[in-house]
Amino acid sequence: MAFPATPQSERKSVLDLDGHSVNPFRLAGSKVVVFLFVRTDCPISNRYAPTIQDLSHRYGEHASFFLVYPIASETSQQIRKHLQDYGYQLPALRDPGLVLARESHVSITPEAAVFSADKKLLYHGRIDDWYVEFGRARREPTTHELATTIESAVARKPVPATEAPAVGCFIPGLT
Amino acid sequence: MKPGKHFLAGSVCLTILALVSVPHAAQQTHTSASPDRAAEQQVTFNRDIAPIVYHYCVPCHRPGEAAPFSLLTYQDTKKFAEQIAFITEKRIMPPWLPSPGEPKLSGELRLSEQQIDLFRQWAKQGTPEGNPADLPPAPHFTPGWQLGQPDAILHAQKPYALPAQGTDNYWNFIFRTNFPETRWIRAIEIRPGEKRVVHHANMFVDRFHSSRDQERHPGDGFPGMELRIESESFDPDSHFFFWKPGSIAHEEPEGMAFRLDPGDDLVLNVHLQPSGKPETVQPTIGLYFTDKPATKFPFLLELQNDRALDIPPGDGNFEVNDDFTLPAEVQLLAIYPHAHYIGRQLSATATYPDGTSKNLIQIPRWDLNWQAVYYYEDPLLLPAGTRVSMHYIYDNSTANIANPFHPPQRIKGGNRTTDEMAHLWLQVLPHDDAVPPEQARFLLQEAMARHDVTRDPADFSAQYNLAAVLQAKGDSAEALQHFQAAVQLRPNDVVANNALGAVLLALGNPGEAIAPLLRAVQSKPDYAAAHYNLGNAYASEGNFSNAITEFSEAARLNPKDSMSEANLGAAFAEAGNLDEAQKHLERALQLDPQNTLASNNLDEVKRRRTSPQ
Repeated sequence: MAFPATPQSERKSVLDLDGHSVNPFRLAGSKVVVFLFVRTDCPISNRYAPTIQDLSHRYGEHASFFLVYPIASETSQQIRKHLQDYGYQLPALRDPGLVLARESHVSITPEAAVFSADKKLLYHGRIDDWYVEFGRARREPTTHELATTIESAVARKPVPATEAPAVGCFIPGLT
Repeated sequence: MKPGKHFLAGSVCLTILALVSVPHAAQQTHTSASPDRAAEQQVTFNRDIAPIVYHYCVPCHRPGEAAPFSLLTYQDTKKFAEQIAFITEKRIMPPWLPSPGEPKLSGELRLSEQQIDLFRQWAKQGTPEGNPADLPPAPHFTPGWQLGQPDAILHAQKPYALPAQGTDNYWNFIFRTNFPETRWIRAIEIRPGEKRVVHHANMFVDRFHSSRDQERHPGDGFPGMELRIESESFDPDSHFFFWKPGSIAHEEPEGMAFRLDPGDDLVLNVHLQPSGKPETVQPTIGLYFTDKPATKFPFLLELQNDRALDIPPGDGNFEVNDDFTLPAEVQLLAIYPHAHYIGRQLSATATYPDGTSKNLIQIPRWDLNWQAVYYYEDPLLLPAGTRVSMHYIYDNSTANIANPFHPPQRIKGGNRTTDEMAHLWLQVLPHDDAVPPEQARFLLQEAMARHDVTRDPADFSAQYNLAAVLQAKGDSAEALQHFQAAVQLRPNDVVANNALGAVLLALGNPGEAIAPLLRAVQSKPDYAAAHYNLGNAYASEGNFSNAITEFSEAARLNPKDSMSEANLGAAFAEAGNLDEAQKHLERALQLDPQNTLASNNLDEVKRRRTSPQ
């Protein structure tokens, strides 16, 4: 895997909802880390909420899940309401400086990133192939990239793919 | 004494009604920069982008509307600049399926290449805001009801709980109307409730409450993608009532108001898409009345060929066609192409009697989610002898991501979401100086019904509709054949059995009428019309005791019907019970003082009572 991981980033722009700077890699301890980049107003990202919740429930024992909100203008208050509306029960982070987004090589919401237990980037991309392009979804997904990646990562096996294109809303400010 | 009139049943019509969508924030879109200049110049929000966004995007992309985020301001739009450039280039947004061309469709939401290029340049240049003086005034939107305060507002009785997760969902709400007299409706504004989960909504009139059986409890609503509304009479009203995001209710032109009789149901079919969180949807409709009754009656032509839909898995190019030749000149007002998920290309053409042809609509890339009723900017004249054709192509391969099956399976015609449909509705107005409009309607109705029967003699509705139009025309003998065919196809259909009985009565054959009428009342014991007809059949056969039973039942079920009471009185008189006869004849006259059959018979009963034989 050729991704340069910077797991112990000291950049202070990753915040919890109380405004405190946090390091999710440290919070995850020795577990695999899964980031799910979402935003409050992206319809595709929102439609994935039940899937994201299911995945975090299914793999939560062996992997630390974080929702990451990379839009600087989304406030903690908006995010708390969003978590409540969509029934999310996983920790949420704000990434206004796009530190995690860059580190994870993501550019879309919803997009997932999986880091190994030793905090190397293993995968970034779609959760599954439900959406094929903006506005066009299958009835049901036929591949489940995030789930298979997490299973491999937890088992310390090579992941089937290092990336797969995500479909959703662009994260502004990355270029 | 003769039994009175027969209660004749009319047609079963699938009345797909729907209507328009004209987003108008009607700013003139100004494209101040030509593509070449745009490449050189800075593209700014205030000068170049805002006019486009205000006209094409903001009707939906503003708070409270269907779109997921607002694009009302520079700050809002800036956040989505790259997204907008991407999806406009791919023509995913704004959602508009038809290809450009003639005839022009009303409310076209199609960006020019220059406009798309401006979005691309603006994102590339880092979304400059520009000179505040260049910013056009923000569009003004009417809050609340778009056509003003409605004359009547109806709420769905119960909300529908849409789950957070899953595939598309279809729910039907029944609005029970109860106006004291017939109302003429010039517009119906549909407010679907939580707009962000409603993809489109289509409203139908159900004059015979044929949908109520599908509700578990009255007011619950019921699931289902396609509605089948059965109607027992010819309905001159063929209007579309359609809602899609950004649409403003269509107001009928003067003289084309829609008739709403006391007690009619309005059924709203709603296409919903789960949003990721549980939602409740409770639509409201606003009715706008006019005191001007309809003088022009549009007609809905329905081309369809569901029977041809038997699409093998993997077939990416399955064609389905249907043609109909107009027996009278019409004006084409609106068009509604309809398929389900694996439709790929939907088009319709008109071939004039001189052999030249014209596209009526062309949808190169069908997407069920953005279906719509399209109105022509100017009605299109189609002379008698014009052949209207639909040509649909379906893609049942894995390449079609909308395919409901993975891997693909054989897909046939049907009403479920996983079935397919091949339908095209055309709203036309008879327009033939040589033929009175009412006669033109009959010509159209009969030609349509014959077309349907020829295409598929095993189509129950086609047989029934043809029979009904023939009977209405007075051709009972040919009507009989088609009612018989309909009953053969659906031996227990209540309405068809009743109609078959009625036409046999009309042909003077009460003996044969009894069997189908008995089947009708056995299938639906509370069917007043069938009891009434059965009473007539027994009475004609001289079986007055059975006639009394049936007329009593008809009168009990339909206590306001003067004719049931009149015939009950007549049957009692024939059976020699003059006391009961007088009672029911008087009751008939109370219900309808103009009932001459009842008054003549009452005179006769009174005469007999005063001069007993």
